[in-house]
Parts: sequence; C-alpha cells; structure tokens
Amino acid sequence: MDKSKYDIIIGLEIHVQSKTKSKMFCCCDANYFEKEPNTHVCPNCLGLPGALPVPNKRAIELCILLGLATNCDIDGEIHFDRKHYFYPDLPKGYQISQYKRPICSDGKIEINDEDGKKHTIGIERIHQEEDVAKSTHHTESDTGLRYSLVDYNKSGVPLIEIVSKPNIRSALQAREYASKIRQIVRYLGISDADMEKGQMRCEPNISVQEIGKWEYKDNGIVAIGEYELNPKVEVKNIGSISAVEKSIEYEVERIIKKIEKGEKITQQTRGWNADKGITEFQRSKETADDYRYMPDPDIPIIEISREDVQRVSKEIVELPDEKIQRYKKDYDLSDYDCTVLTADREISKYFEDVVSLLSKDRDSENAAKSVANWITGAVFSISNDLKIDVDEKNFPKKDLVELINRFEKGEITRNKAEEILRKSLENDNDFDNLINRAIKKAKESANNLEDIVKEVIEENQKAVNDYKSGKQATIGYLIGQVMKKTKGTADPNEAKSILIEKLNG
Amino acid sequence: MDKKTLKHIAELSRIELSDKELEKFTPQMETILDSAKKLQEIDTKATSPMKRHVSFDSLREDKSKESLSQEEVLKNANHKENGYIKIYGELYGSIEES
Repeated sequence: MDKSKYDIIIGLEIHVQSKTKSKMFCCCDANYFEKEPNTHVCPNCLGLPGALPVPNKRAIELCILLGLATNCDIDGEIHFDRKHYFYPDLPKGYQISQYKRPICSDGKIEINDEDGKKHTIGIERIHQEEDVAKSTHHTESDTGLRYSLVDYNKSGVPLIEIVSKPNIRSALQAREYASKIRQIVRYLGISDADMEKGQMRCEPNISVQEIGKWEYKDNGIVAIGEYELNPKVEVKNIGSISAVEKSIEYEVERIIKKIEKGEKITQQTRGWNADKGITEFQRSKETADDYRYMPDPDIPIIEISREDVQRVSKEIVELPDEKIQRYKKDYDLSDYDCTVLTADREISKYFEDVVSLLSKDRDSENAAKSVANWITGAVFSISNDLKIDVDEKNFPKKDLVELINRFEKGEITRNKAEEILRKSLENDNDFDNLINRAIKKAKESANNLEDIVKEVIEENQKAVNDYKSGKQATIGYLIGQVMKKTKGTADPNEAKSILIEKLNG
Repeated sequence: MDKKTLKHIAELSRIELSDKELEKFTPQMETILDSAKKLQEIDTKATSPMKRHVSFDSLREDKSKESLSQEEVLKNANHKENGYIKIYGELYGSIEES
C-alpha cells in the first residue's frame, strides 16, 4: 500500500456541553450526571404543547467566550433555527440550533504538528444548540421485541458545536486540535469536556484524495479537471482524544486499501469500536440530510452589542499558548516543562503560586526553574503513582517550598525530600515532624561520616601520601573505602568533600 | 407537488403511505401549497420583517428551578420501565442522533 500518493483531508465536528446551572431553553437543572431518569424534565424538554423556550443568557455568553478565545468573528444578532427530524430523543420533532447565522464564525487556533512545527486549523463556525435525550437500545427477552429506553434529563442541556475547516491533514493533527479545544474550554470554565461522560464528542469527516487532483475552494474541496473526488466518511462513537487519532488512522488505511483495489468508496457513517480498534459500518448517506431548517418563531432575535462582547471578553483568561510564551520569556523554561505545566489550568496555577512563594528570597527565574523541576519530577511522580490531583490539599505549597529550600541548602537529599512528600500524604504523618527528623538524621550521619573519613585516612596512609604528593586520582580509592565502610549508604559527593577538607587541612 | 416528493416528506415524518393514499393526498397537498403561494404573491418589499428583537440583557438568568416529578413526566407514556420511557420498535438506523 502506497500512502504517499494520497492526501488526507479531515474536518472535525466537536460538540461540547456547557457547564451551566440550567438547561438551554428552560429552568431544569442541567447537571444530569447519575441522576434518576426523567427527573430533570419539564414541558419544554418534552415538547408539550404551549411550552415556550427562553434562551439561557449564561450559555450564550459561554458560546461567545469560546468564539473570542478561538479568534472568531462574533455576530451582532443571534438567530435560532429549527432543525427537523423525527426521533424519540427529540420530542418536539426538531432541535433548536443555528443554521445560516452561527454566533461565531471564521476563527482559528494553532496546534503543534509533527517535529514541533506549528499548524493553524481554521474554524468555520461555532454555534449554540441543545442536547437531545439519551436512549439505550434493547431486546425484550420474552417477546423478542426491540425497544428503546429514553431518559430526557439530557434533553435541552446547552450544547456548543465547533466545526473546523477541512484543513486538518493528519490523524495526529486531528488529535492535537481536539485536545487543544478541550484545553481551551476547560481553561475558560465553559465545560469539563469529559469525553467518557459525553460532555465532549468528536466526529471526524475523512476523505482521501490523490495528490494534485483537488484543491480548496469556499471552505470545501473541489476536484481538478476530470478527477472525481472520493466521498467522505464520518466516524462516530469516539470516546477519547486518543481514539480520535486511532480511528482516523484506521479509517485512512481502510479507504486507501479500497482505492488501491479499485473498489468504490461510498459516503457513509461508521462507528469506532474501541475494543476491537476498528470502525464499523453504520449507515450509508446516499442523499443529503434533509432537516428542513426554518427560523424558530418562538425565539426572538437577540441583539448583541459591542459592549456585551466586551463584557464577555473580560472572562478570557491567559490561555496555554500565552502562558507557554510567558514561561519561556520570564523563566527560560524548556518546551517540555512549559507544555506539561500548562496542560491543566489548575496545575499551572499551582506552579505559579509556588514560584511566587519561593520568589520571596530569590529571583523569579531561579525560583521557577527549581519549582518546575520539583513539580515535573517528584510531585508528578507521586500524583501519578497515587492517582491524586496536584493541588494544595495533597501537596501544600508551603511544604514544597520548604523542601526545595532545605534540599538546596544541602540539609536533605532529593530522594529524602520525595520520601517526605509521599509520607506526609499518609494519615498521621505530620510534615514538620517528618522534615525535622530527616534533618536531624542527616546531621547525625554527616557526623558519622566525618568519623569514618578520619578512620579511612588513618588506615590508608600510603594512599593519603600519594594524594598529597600530587596523585589526585587516589581520591577515588579513598572514597571507595568510605563507601565500603558505610555499606554504600554514604553520599559519595559528600564523602569526597569531607575527604578533601581533611586531606588539605 | 408530485407523488415522489410527498413520499419523501412522509418518510421524513415517519409516516407510511400506501400508493392509494399517495394518489389521494398528492392533489390535496397541491391545493394547500397553492393557497400558500397566494400569500407569497403579496408584495412585502416595503415591510420589514416582523420578528421581535430583544436585547442580550433581557435573556433569562442561569438559575435552575424544580422540574416535574418523574411520575408526571411518565404520565402520558404508553410504556415505561424503571423510570424510563419505553418505546417499541427499531429506532436506531436511518435517522441520525445528535
């Protein structure tokens, strides 16, 4: 199979549930996770006659906020439309969505491509809509009848749809893009975007074309000359960021194999099966979707003034890309440190707090380098092992600062410091107690070490004389003797410095 | 309006129509559409759209209120099971879920 003959063209649709208190068009509680079925439901959610949708101000603010953070244009008016289809997850017979005029359009974000290169992914539109009910499908054991169980708690939860331009060119870029969108919505507090809980859903549209036979035109792609474009395949049921990449890799390979065999590619929707690591046919899409969109007469046009947008823009926090730039400029941190320290907003906040504590008695660049080192080292290692968050509760900032100071003064070793961090997480282990004991022990063994060094000097007069007469390498032999006497427990560097002190003294 | 269009609309609405019904309803639908056409003939160039405009500030604040009880929600359902509405038939397949 020769992949080099083909271009991969991907567009990604991402749905994100907004973290609001109430639903998009009614006052039902939007937090439905693990709640009794059909208990967050009102006449609006059920589409009962006479129910009137009233838009949630906060939800629209969050949609505008995401648009601003992804460099979109924000429309001056908000229009809601009805998207019609008949399905029990949608009792009104239509979903309230936006068709011709999305709130946000024409944005872009930058992602890290292979080899650390930057790649810009265009965002065609971001619009506001409502989620639908959750249905599960079953077969009745005694009658053999197929049936579905429907829970309307999710119906009407605010949902933001983000549609990329088809300028994602590899599975890796798709993964990076999805992960960046998730990071942005989390940083801004728009959504927790937990894919396992369905708070974020990714649906790639994938097509494979021969190189040089197609071009971009009007936010889509067109064939050049006689070439006939291969239809696109949509993949659903993607439950994690890594599955975005894996499912696209699988799909691209499947399509290329078919093309190479001379088989026809049909436009279809496929489902990702994470257990088997394959995509499975769901349905073909021979005709264009026919949703019969119309303006929703129940919802007035909402005017957005420049002041409104300005007010929302105040909620924009420093996003990861800007943080990375700042960490590099102010602290001279490595790419790796910058990336892992900004991956999560809580961690970056924790990092910055510890840096500012430690900066009280040193310059901030020096402090930041130390803190970065300790967080990406000991703290991450412990938090990974114990599966706990990096926060004040688990790793009190003042404790970390004290450990860093003690270590740098040479009072405790790095290993001891990590051990203290670990132990202080266990019950009944008081940090102050642990550190005082460790320092006391370290001092005792340092005194011991001095005695041992004295012994070694007395017992090895020949080596001592060799050293004094200029054979510097003999020091290695003497350190070896100290290590032997301490059964390898002494710090060789410490032994060396004490030896040199005594021999020169 | 021809039979094919009517059949398509019926399918979208999940209504099954027999050939006989298609034959009967096609001219009826045509009459309805003709009436609607009359409205479209009216010159509205000088009239601005009548859709109401509201300011952003007038939207609903994000506060949740109590919903219906589960019992009330399920009241109109023909079938129910463990708090869910139960629907017989093959639902998944031809129409997409959001």
